[in-house]
Amino acid sequence: MERSPVAFDQNFSGAASDFPALLQSKGLLGPAIAPYQVVPGQQKTWQPTEATTILAFKFSGGVLVAGDRRATAGNTVVYDRADKVLEIDRHSIMAIAGVPATAWEMARVLEHSFQFFRRTQLQEMSVGGKVRALSKLLRDNFGFVMQGVGVVVPIFATYDSHPKPEARLYFYDAMGAQFEAADYAATGSGSPAVRGILYYENTWSAKPLQQLNEDEAVSIALRALDTAAESDTSTGGVDRSGKIYPLIKIVSRDGITTLPESKIAAVFKETVA
Amino acid sequence: MIEEPYRWVEAIANRREYIEGQLAPGSPIAALGYREGILFLTLGQMRQKIFEIYDRIAMGAIGHPGDIERLRMAAIELASTEGFTRSATDVSLRRLVHYSLSPVLKSAFEQIYGPPYLARMLFAEVGERPEEDLFLRVEYDGEIATNGATYARARQDFAVLSGTQRSRELMEAFLKTQHTPDASLQATLNAALDAWSIGHMTLQATEAKELPERAVVAKYRQEQLATAGIEAALLERDVSRAIRYRSLSDTELRSLIND
Repeated sequence: MERSPVAFDQNFSGAASDFPALLQSKGLLGPAIAPYQVVPGQQKTWQPTEATTILAFKFSGGVLVAGDRRATAGNTVVYDRADKVLEIDRHSIMAIAGVPATAWEMARVLEHSFQFFRRTQLQEMSVGGKVRALSKLLRDNFGFVMQGVGVVVPIFATYDSHPKPEARLYFYDAMGAQFEAADYAATGSGSPAVRGILYYENTWSAKPLQQLNEDEAVSIALRALDTAAESDTSTGGVDRSGKIYPLIKIVSRDGITTLPESKIAAVFKETVA
Repeated sequence: MIEEPYRWVEAIANRREYIEGQLAPGSPIAALGYREGILFLTLGQMRQKIFEIYDRIAMGAIGHPGDIERLRMAAIELASTEGFTRSATDVSLRRLVHYSLSPVLKSAFEQIYGPPYLARMLFAEVGERPEEDLFLRVEYDGEIATNGATYARARQDFAVLSGTQRSRELMEAFLKTQHTPDASLQATLNAALDAWSIGHMTLQATEAKELPERAVVAKYRQEQLATAGIEAALLERDVSRAIRYRSLSDTELRSLIND
C-alpha cells in the first residue's frame, strides 16, 4: 500500500546522511555547477583572486593556523577585522583564502554537515570523510570559479584521534584536489613569501617547525605574515598603529584554542616589532 | 469499508488497541529538568533509545526501531535545515513537534490502509533557566502532551514515557512529590532511577493504583541495576557552548548512585 501523501520528504536511498544533498533537495543550496558559457571569440582568462595570506604548520602543541585580517575588493581595503580562520567543529579549523561570501557559506555547510552526520549516524565523521566533504564543496563550486566570481582555496586542520592520535593538515586547490601537508601549508596571494620562510625555518633553522614550542611558533607565524604583508598589498599583516593582530588558533588533542590578542601582542612586541 | 463511518471508527479502535499492545512492554524513559540541565535516563541497553536531535533538543523513544529511526531522521533533518537557513536559536521544539511531526503521525494513523508509526516519543528542549525547559510527549496518533501548566495541573519540570498509561501515571505521581528543578545531578539521577523502577515494575500491573512501597522500589532498583546497563544523556544548560547534548556513560553514573 502507498504511504500517506503527507510523508516526510526523506531520501530512503540512504543519501540523506549527506547534508549538502539534503539542502539541495530542498532548494536551499545553490546549483552544483553554475551555468558556464563560453562566448565565441572571447578569450576567457581565469584570474585567481585569493587576496589574503593564510598559513598553518605543525608544532609541538598541535597545528597552528594563522590568518591576517584584511579583506579587499580590488585595490580597496573593505574590512580590517575579517576572520578567515573558522572553527568548524571542536577539533577542526578551516582557514580561507578567496571570496568571503562563498568561503563563509562553505564553512557553514561544512559545520552543519559534520553535526548532521554525527546526529544521524550516531558517530563522529572520520577525518577522511571530513576532508572529502570539503573537497566536494570545492568541486561543486568550480563553475563559479571559472566565471571568476567564487574562488576559494582553503586549508583544513584537524586532530585525528583514530587510529593514531595526531594533528593533520590539508590544503586544497580551487578545483577540490586535496593534499596532506607533512609540515606546513600556506594559501592566498601572500603565500609565496610565507612558503619560503616556512621552508627555510623547517630546513635550516636551529629547530624544525614540529619541535617549536607555542611562543616560538607564534613568533614565526607573525614574522611570516609581516613578511607577506611587506610586498603583498592584500595582506594586512600586523597593523602596528591600529593594534590589529592576525587571528591565530591552535588545534590540539583537547580541541581548539584561540590565542588571546594580549598574548599575540606580547610575542609580537618581544620578537617581531 | 471506508464508506461506512462506523467501520472506520472500529478500524481505528482496533489499530489503537494493536499499537498499545505493541508498545506495552516498552521500558520507561524519564527526562528530568534540574539546575544544570535536563537528564534523560532509561535502563536496559538492547537498543539505543536516547538520541541527540539538535543543539538543545534530545529525544527518547519506544516502539518499532524502523519507525523510530524514520521519525528521528525526519526530526534531525527538519531541525538541521531550519538551523542552517536561519540560526540555531530559531530551531524550536514546539514548532518541530506541533507543525511537522504531529500532523504526519495523525494522518498515518488515521489512513487505515497504510501503516501507522509504531512509536511513542519524548522530546525535551533545554532553556536558559529551568522554568524555560520544554518537554513534549508525542503519541503514535499525533497527540501531544506538554509539561506546561493547565487548568487542573501545575507546571512540571519533568516528563516521562512508558509502555502503559498506568505505569506512566505512577511515575509522574512519584516525580511530582520527589523531584524539584533546583536539585543537583546526583539527586536528579536517583529520582530518575526510582521513577524508572516504579514505571518498569508496574508495566504488567494494570490494577496498580498506589505507588509501591519505598523499600520495594529500592529493592527492585538494586536488582535491575545489577544486571541492566544505564543509558543516559544530558542537555546542559551551560550557555557558553552551542551543542548541549552529551551522552553519559554507565560507569560515569554508577559512582553517583545512592545505594
